Amino acid sequence: MKYAFFAGCLIPAREPHYENSVQKIAPELGIELVRMEGANCCAPFSIQSLDYTSWLALAARNLSIAEEMGLNIVTLCNDCYESLLMTNTVLKEDKKTRDKVNKILADVGLEFKGKTDVKIFSDVLYEDVGLEKVKNAVKRPFNGLRVAVQPGCHLSKPKRLHSIQWMGGTALDELVEATGVKSIPYERKEACCGGPLRGVNDEVALHVAKQKLDSIKSADVGCIVTVCPFCYLELDMGQIELKRRTKEEYNLPVLNFAELLRLAMGMDLEDWEVRAHRIPITKILGMVEAK
Amino acid sequence: MQKAVVVIGGGVAGIQSSLDLANRGFKVYLVDRNPSIGGRMAQLDKTFPTMDCSMCILAPKMIECSHHPNVQLLTYSEVKDVKGSVGDFKVKVLRKPRYVDERKCTGCAICSENCPTEAPNEFDENIGVRKAIYMPFPQAVPRAAVIDKESCVECGLCDKVCPAGAVNREQKPEEVELESGAIVVATGFDLFDPSVIPQYGYGRFKNVISAMELERLLCASGPTGGHLIRPSDGRIPRHIAFIQCVGSRDRREWIGHPYCSSICCKYAVKDAVLIKEHEADSLVTIFYIDMRAFGRGFQEFLNRAKSEFGIGFIRSNPGEVSEDQRTGDLAIWFEDPVTRTVQNMRFDLVVLCPALIPSKGMPELAKTLGIELDNYGFVRLEDSVRKPLDTTVPGIFCCGYCLGPKTGDIPDSITQGSATAARVAEVLADKEAS
Amino acid sequence: MHEVANTPRGRGVLACIQCGRCTSSCPVARVVEEHNPRKLMEMIILGLRSDVLSGRLPWYCLSCFTCLDRCPQGGDVGEAMFAIRNLTVREGNIPDGILAQAKSLFENGRVVTAGRMALAQRVKHGLGNEPTVDVEAVQKILKRTHFDKLISKGK
Repeated sequence: MKYAFFAGCLIPAREPHYENSVQKIAPELGIELVRMEGANCCAPFSIQSLDYTSWLALAARNLSIAEEMGLNIVTLCNDCYESLLMTNTVLKEDKKTRDKVNKILADVGLEFKGKTDVKIFSDVLYEDVGLEKVKNAVKRPFNGLRVAVQPGCHLSKPKRLHSIQWMGGTALDELVEATGVKSIPYERKEACCGGPLRGVNDEVALHVAKQKLDSIKSADVGCIVTVCPFCYLELDMGQIELKRRTKEEYNLPVLNFAELLRLAMGMDLEDWEVRAHRIPITKILGMVEAK
Repeated sequence: MQKAVVVIGGGVAGIQSSLDLANRGFKVYLVDRNPSIGGRMAQLDKTFPTMDCSMCILAPKMIECSHHPNVQLLTYSEVKDVKGSVGDFKVKVLRKPRYVDERKCTGCAICSENCPTEAPNEFDENIGVRKAIYMPFPQAVPRAAVIDKESCVECGLCDKVCPAGAVNREQKPEEVELESGAIVVATGFDLFDPSVIPQYGYGRFKNVISAMELERLLCASGPTGGHLIRPSDGRIPRHIAFIQCVGSRDRREWIGHPYCSSICCKYAVKDAVLIKEHEADSLVTIFYIDMRAFGRGFQEFLNRAKSEFGIGFIRSNPGEVSEDQRTGDLAIWFEDPVTRTVQNMRFDLVVLCPALIPSKGMPELAKTLGIELDNYGFVRLEDSVRKPLDTTVPGIFCCGYCLGPKTGDIPDSITQGSATAARVAEVLADKEAS
Repeated sequence: MHEVANTPRGRGVLACIQCGRCTSSCPVARVVEEHNPRKLMEMIILGLRSDVLSGRLPWYCLSCFTCLDRCPQGGDVGEAMFAIRNLTVREGNIPDGILAQAKSLFENGRVVTAGRMALAQRVKHGLGNEPTVDVEAVQKILKRTHFDKLISKGK
């Protein structure tokens, strides 16, 4: 299974350890990730808020690059997923808008033809690789570690765009539980983490993150598992920032799903990756079954 | 030309139609897939806006059906095949075995008392339990027990204790062929499953219930003898909320019911008043989008609900219901229309008013009859303006909620039932003359 | 109201019945009294143009789409938030944080770029440099859509 790998902006810049985990587990699961050279920012919600056509044109450029590669796109970030998926859907359905965007793309020598599909890493694992194969790749499962799974808003909303119901359904829990952890339900599971307002209105972002963290805390879990890098930042860094402001401590380690899977597949995290987590994750590392 | 009619559905509309036709000299076969006729009206405690006892109005009509020389009841039965055309239909009905001889059973219910096995009680919306051999409800017509073979452990006790020797576990399904000149469809409605909207917690939180479940809790013949207690701990709820439009007026494709169900605002106010009558110091709040209180004394009833009974009305559609796991209490998140801020209010019990949807099995029945359904699954009318009771097949008519939310209340169903009877008589008379 | 309805993603404002489910579900509305999607729709329907376009209201939105998925009128009301923000931007109303991202996008082709240390880390641990961006192509596109002029308004 070969895919055009859309890395986005945030992961390469701020969370290279997330990318590293994905690069390590992909070959074990038969996934080949081909770099998309020259790809630009997906145009997340902040850019979409500025101008409609700019968003579509930028996102469409990425889609066209993947089309020229003859591959489907896989992203790691929920925001990239939402932007590219929505653009793909809008341009496939609306000829007038498609023509308008293609006129702009012509300037840079590209054309949107509607020949590629947009997937996120969990789509690939669940649909293309399949739950069975993922389970078989797990060599040292976690022993029922209680986790709070954070699906992230753009994984599954707007509902009408998605075929797998990641939120409200069991698919994501099944995928995460393949590593041997137990996904614990909590009240604010479907709520936003506050990430999009990071850097725009930090106070509100933290307020929203606090609601999420309070809910997770009362579910009595050992770890938070995120899919989206924004959620990861907001819930990891966010705990440090909240401690500074309100003195409240949560001590909830946050792991990306790819890292969790990597550990469960028998690979250790390198020192620099462990240190990248603001809330220490050492106790989680000790929780995989001994080989 | 057959001077006989098959009526499918023994709710109030079907019963009215049957009686009118029977009185006119037609032979009526009243078919219902439940072991008793009565339909939804039999499940209600009181009706709006007069607050009459529902069963008190319905039961005399049900008894009339069972005694009328021109009416033959085929309960626990379903229509399986229809051939022919107006004036001369051949209708095959499959009678499910009750394992009790209707003619011998006196309705004494000694069998039930002795039966060792329990199963959820469908009539009580699965709140309470019934036995494997059971009377559908106290006023059931026909007044005969029925055995639910799936729950039955075949201990044979019922057979031993029955004074009339009515138990017959050798009964087989029976196919009956009826000849009729016309058919009347009166299959009523089902309730939308509120767990499709997970934010309200139905199915996850014990104290979030549907309006029909509330109705059974309030009814004296219900699982709690009419005492309003809440499911999680049996406490009397003091703070009760209603959430309107759960599934109705919803244009999202996966919900599928963009229409207004037309009676929920009315019955919610009725239920709120009922609750206040049961528990005078309770606080009842209705969360609504619009209060649709049209026709027939309803605005006056609504005014009384506010001024006399002190029922609270909040014009805000809630986003979520959350549960306090320790107590089972619920909190409703909504936007306070006065302060324009998001608040949450604590309740002991939350009642959801779900969309009213076509009866289960309508697509199959429609195919059997050859009639068309509209895009919501209700019966499609030949001409909704000039012939609002005719289906798309000549000789097949319809009445009651199976037409959809055009029906405003029980008197409307009764009116339609009578009107359909007149229509049948007219059409068959014309057929005979020609 | 029609101005918003005719902006891309803005049609939903015509369908709003003011039921309040959006605000009841909004995670920001619970912590920020000022932020109220239903009220925003109401202001648009009432034609309070200057209040809507000059205020901070639309910029509290997380675009989490909870309102959109729960709206009984089909959810386009949540999409309308983008249309409203597009309109406020044309009036020069852009929060600083968003402006910074926009500038980075125009200059680097990315909304956020790796600092020196992060880049060194990447190379050290075998991830290679950041994937390349064709900045020229990005600028060509953004000049074509007048994005650069748009963001220069926000000061």
